[in-house]
Amino acid sequence: MASLQEPWLLEKGNLKGSSKEIRHGRTAHNMSSSSLRKKSDLTLVSKVRYGMLRQFLTNLQEVILGTKLSVLFPAIPLAVVADCYGFGRPCVFALSLLGLTPLAERVSFLTEQIAYYTGPTVGGLLNATCGNATELIIAIFALGQYKIDVVKYSLLGSVLSNLLLVLGTSLFCGGIANLRKEQKYDRRQADVNSLLLLLALLCHSLPLLFRLTGASAAVTNDPTLQLSRASSIVMLITYLSYLVFQLFTHRQLFEAQEESEDDEDGLPEEAPVIGFWSGFIWLIGMTTVISLLSEYVVQTIEAASDSWGISVSFISIILLPIVGNAAEHAGAIIFAFKNKLDISLGVALGSATQISMFVVPLCVVVAWIMGINMDLNFNLLETGSLALSIIAVAFTLQDGTSHYMKGLVLLLLYIVIGTCFFVSKTPLNQVNITNSETEIAIDKIFRV
Amino acid sequence: MEFAGELSHMENGYSKGKESWNNGLRTAQNMSTSLLRKKSDPMLVSKLRFQMLRQFLANLQEVVLGTKLAVLFPAIPLAIAADFYKFGRPWIFALSLLGLTPLAERVSFLTEQIAYYTGPTVGGLLNATCGNATELIIALFALYQNKIHVLKYSLLGSILSNLLLVLGSSLLCGGLANLKKEQRYDRKQADVNSLLLLLGLLCHMLPLMFRYAAAPGIFIDDHSILQLSRASSIVMLVAYIGYIFFQLKTHRQIFESQEEDEEEEKAVIGFWSAFSWLVGMTLIIALLSEYVVGTIEAASESWGISISFISIILIPIVGNAAEHAGSIIFAFKNKLDISLGVALGSATQISMFAVPLCVVVGWIMRIQMDLDFSLLETACLALTIIVVAFTLQDGTSHYMKGVVLCLCYVAIAACFFVHKIPAPLDQTQVNLGLKPSSGFSA
Repeated sequence: MASLQEPWLLEKGNLKGSSKEIRHGRTAHNMSSSSLRKKSDLTLVSKVRYGMLRQFLTNLQEVILGTKLSVLFPAIPLAVVADCYGFGRPCVFALSLLGLTPLAERVSFLTEQIAYYTGPTVGGLLNATCGNATELIIAIFALGQYKIDVVKYSLLGSVLSNLLLVLGTSLFCGGIANLRKEQKYDRRQADVNSLLLLLALLCHSLPLLFRLTGASAAVTNDPTLQLSRASSIVMLITYLSYLVFQLFTHRQLFEAQEESEDDEDGLPEEAPVIGFWSGFIWLIGMTTVISLLSEYVVQTIEAASDSWGISVSFISIILLPIVGNAAEHAGAIIFAFKNKLDISLGVALGSATQISMFVVPLCVVVAWIMGINMDLNFNLLETGSLALSIIAVAFTLQDGTSHYMKGLVLLLLYIVIGTCFFVSKTPLNQVNITNSETEIAIDKIFRV
Repeated sequence: MEFAGELSHMENGYSKGKESWNNGLRTAQNMSTSLLRKKSDPMLVSKLRFQMLRQFLANLQEVVLGTKLAVLFPAIPLAIAADFYKFGRPWIFALSLLGLTPLAERVSFLTEQIAYYTGPTVGGLLNATCGNATELIIALFALYQNKIHVLKYSLLGSILSNLLLVLGSSLLCGGLANLKKEQRYDRKQADVNSLLLLLGLLCHMLPLMFRYAAAPGIFIDDHSILQLSRASSIVMLVAYIGYIFFQLKTHRQIFESQEEDEEEEKAVIGFWSAFSWLVGMTLIIALLSEYVVGTIEAASESWGISISFISIILIPIVGNAAEHAGSIIFAFKNKLDISLGVALGSATQISMFAVPLCVVVGWIMRIQMDLDFSLLETACLALTIIVVAFTLQDGTSHYMKGVVLCLCYVAIAACFFVHKIPAPLDQTQVNLGLKPSSGFSA
């Protein structure tokens, strides 16, 4: 069976670095999603005779069937079929959502495989940009269709989901499973992430306050936009320096915990299982399929909202991010069970930081280029929820220990915020209305 | 050379005490501005015959030329000339700002010199009151000319500048210069300051929320907000006095700056000459501040930037320039306690002393100054205090903290740059109004 693995290694792109470096390239993100992998069983394939066919089928098996989530893969062709035959837009929406879940996990797996070949730094960079590929693609499609509210809400919901739901369930499950042990983690990583989230909060609050200081929308539209664009550049600069901080100067704060190697909980030395170019091709293919499904999701969101009777804001803030984050979520919980909280925190906080400091300002800049007026004013209710979540999380994580009560509180915070958006049926179903009109509507609600 | 020194000593008021408590009263602020001093070279002066002349010139050299910022001194006569010959009001504004920078530093130096003679406690008190003399004088002039919004903005901007710009650039430069070392500081000092700033924040937010909490149809009497502000100011002044007591009497050791081999400095000028120089410099500061406050609208129109931006961003940068430079230098040397002492101490002093003092002075002068710094400014202050309190609460530092604080300041500056509110025509009617549209009260 060893000979089966070699053709990959002979493919273009020799493995960079020794195993020690490969280990360093395993960021928290990668380690968490790798817990969902199954070891491929290569015996079936070895029966096929031809070398090339065998190689191809092994590749296929590794990529498609290599995860427990692959049961959801049939949803993808079903979604395409439903769209072609006009089944019912809510169906298309639901099937696309289901199909996105395993795809997000596979993209993360492929990024990790590619990182074996490119070295730890580029691997870290790749992970930093592609880690939330699903959210980014959904946001850009929504932007292209002028559904600015969907963009804002889905990104906000992603941040809230990472900070409260993923983190809360991990701390809760970890606390219950390790009742007798002390749970510690390195607070410096949490501190840096909390600081960045507070900066993002500042950049979101300032345009909101412009609106609230009572001047009419016509006067404040332009300054709000200018301020949002300037703040987005500030946030992108901060994200770049955070990358420098994380990958170059202060790596040691972010290194995933290396335990002693021979214990059964430790991750085995993994060599990459597919070649560089096949990984790359699979990545492009999967990204294309993600784009297709995202387009379905964004187009059918209003129809689904009407048909199921729940507001678009609830779907964007709660449902979409739960789906998009499902793989990371599962991984974070599994590592919390094993009392490796640094990894869970790295996943949850790192994702939240990435979305708020990279994806959101990137969308504003892309909208600027496309001539669309997207600003950082995520109305009062959403910004208020964001502020309280960030402050609660910053306070929770600042002492370096954990117990299940912390997880329970964060989880219940998420449930309260979800309920809030469930019952607030603001006139946001018409997502094609431009921002200013929505602002006037919300101003009226606020002033009464 | 000792002759000149002896004469200063023989002047009225011999230096009290030995060198040991000289060390004790080198507060963070004094130490930081002492970096901008140059050692005077008395050689030139000893050639002159007459003792009195020699003494006078040595004195002059020490005071006027004793700082690297002395290059900016010519701006003072230029500003006076510009006002006299009517050059152009924006010019008067710019020159007055430039002239204020070295004056602020010199006042700090003179305060330190006087403190050698009066003992550590009175010296500490002197520093606590005169440490932000420039901001206080500008504020009092604005109050007197009824430009309440300039007053509020300049004080707020001073707090923001100390908390974000000075602190952020110090942490950033210190972090980059000491990449391989671990940077620690004593978090107890930072904790006390954060707590006082939070009290100040509460006192600012209550009048603001008062205005928003009115049910529609109920007229919020401006008078009640004024009463609330005045009561809160007295509370803040009591808190500040408690803080002074804490800092100078009972818990000195938290605030003592780190003593390494500092050279033993004696006072370089006599008590009465320092006192007269201090009075003189304060008068000049008052003159330049009057120019600044008088010409701020003209400068704003001529340069095309809003008054809020000039008051919140430009004036504090100028007023804090000396402390800023000193703070960065100490951060380079990995003495973060001193940098934090300068930045946080200044912010606390303005927030808990200068602001309530202005409210009380306004009360006496029957001017309606309250603590309601409208929504946008108060929210910026709130977020700033929360970010800084969170940043400093673990006792270590790295450059990323400095980056985030500096970029917070950039975001807030951008906010006030684009925030073009129309300047009110009549100052006295700005605080009325039922709707929470207090953005116009600026």
